Amino acid sequence: MALSSDSSAGRDAREKITIQNVSRSYESADALANVSFSVAEGEFCCIVGPSGCGKTTLLRAIAGLDDPDGGSIQVDGDLVTGPGLDRGMVFQEYALFPWRTVRGNIRFGLDRPACDCPDCEARVRELIGLVGLDGFEDAYPKELSGGMKQRVGIARALAPDPEILLMDEPFGSVDARTRDHLHAELLDIWTQTGQTVVFVTHDIDEAVTLADRVVVMNAEPGTIQSTCSINLERPRERTTRDFVDYVAQIRSKVGSPVSTTH
Amino acid sequence: MSTQTDTGSNALTAETFEGDLQRYLRGLGGLLVFLLVWWVGAMTTQPSYLVPGPLESVYAFIELFATSTTVVVPVLGSSLVLPTGLAHLAQTLFHYVPGLLLGAGCGIGLGLTMGWNGVLDDWLRPLVRVLRPIPPLAWIVFAIVWFGIHHTGAAFIVFVGAFWINFYGAYGGVEGVSTELTDAASTLGVERDLSMLKLVALPSAAPQVLTGFRTSIGRCWMIVVGAELFGAPGVGYEIINASNNLAMATSVAYMFLISLAFLCMDVGFRLLERRVLAWR
Repeated sequence: MALSSDSSAGRDAREKITIQNVSRSYESADALANVSFSVAEGEFCCIVGPSGCGKTTLLRAIAGLDDPDGGSIQVDGDLVTGPGLDRGMVFQEYALFPWRTVRGNIRFGLDRPACDCPDCEARVRELIGLVGLDGFEDAYPKELSGGMKQRVGIARALAPDPEILLMDEPFGSVDARTRDHLHAELLDIWTQTGQTVVFVTHDIDEAVTLADRVVVMNAEPGTIQSTCSINLERPRERTTRDFVDYVAQIRSKVGSPVSTTH
Repeated sequence: MSTQTDTGSNALTAETFEGDLQRYLRGLGGLLVFLLVWWVGAMTTQPSYLVPGPLESVYAFIELFATSTTVVVPVLGSSLVLPTGLAHLAQTLFHYVPGLLLGAGCGIGLGLTMGWNGVLDDWLRPLVRVLRPIPPLAWIVFAIVWFGIHHTGAAFIVFVGAFWINFYGAYGGVEGVSTELTDAASTLGVERDLSMLKLVALPSAAPQVLTGFRTSIGRCWMIVVGAELFGAPGVGYEIINASNNLAMATSVAYMFLISLAFLCMDVGFRLLERRVLAWR
């Protein structure tokens, strides 16, 4: 894997995820209508849009948790037909197993179907260090703050070493200060692992802080309004002129006004 | 600042200690009032056997341990010599424990499968609706004609009682498993239904399963005594046997014994529950 990613680094952005004409309707409304776009290998892609634009549905479809009515989703050219260890998912409300400790939660994906890592305990320790939870190995989720829970959620998703990390408004329930920390940590992890990240949020500031490219969606039905590459050095300061311009540009594209907490 | 918080926390522990003490004293007060009312009631009721007094009952209780009785262990066939009270308690346990464990096992098993498998749920739900409301003791007639009113018959009644309580505990527990957790497990490589049941549904349902079992411990004591009033050997039978001889104090002594046995089991199970569910 390390070899092939080295060689692909030289090439221009190989397509990792290809979404073609994906539609999904629920009884009440069209959640997604003819959505097509692709995510390049190693890209950090944020999807923003008002609630009800189907961004979570789209992410769940990539994860294989939701079956679209039409169109196709391919990962490395293979059709997505269900969940797989090549795609890790981080959930908005953490979705930690409350009966497992931090260690047990992170270990979960390593034991499925059978543990094939040379030293799983070392891998778990490494991940705990990566997300800064040393000393909390044996804590249960109920003992952790929201930010810490999501650190476990991220470590758990990273454990089976997925090529793609799917994140569904992962920092929506943590306070602003913790969110800033987590943004920095996430970018560090992404730099280290080189994974492809698809990150759903309704917070435009968050998207501009993190993304290589922002996909803007409209609601009713969920469609792609436009995409916008963010050409800013990281770490990004939210007060710089360019940053503010990007945010304003994206906000103007989002059909209905989206309020941000900042 | 720090000294202030120190005194604050000290005051708090002192307060909770005082609160605990007050609660214990009130509880003790309630018991004493009850004993007084009982004692006065027993003194003033004629004929005196109608309400045996507290002291008389305590003597009768002690008496249960002064004599010994031989009980035959079912299946093994060996006999045990125990103090009379314990001997009859043992007789009760000989059908209570197998009935409870078997009923709980089958109830939890069916509850989990039905809660997990929609097709089976569709098939069995109407049947469950019909059978569930039948009070376990109503099955006594079949217990008698099928097994005879001895250990097996009584165990069957206890089985029915334990079955439904545990069934609903497990069924509700599995039904309440959040899709978020099953989704998370799917993305982490859980593919087979059976693994999902074992790794997610079962631990997630554990609190309700255990609550169901704890409830059934108490309910089965009621049921087992009911079954014994019909003639199965054990403490329930001794209650009615003593009252037939107008030895009401002995009946009260056996009632105490049941209460004690239940308390021990309940407290023991609560401790176990707290350990198993430390994550809650």
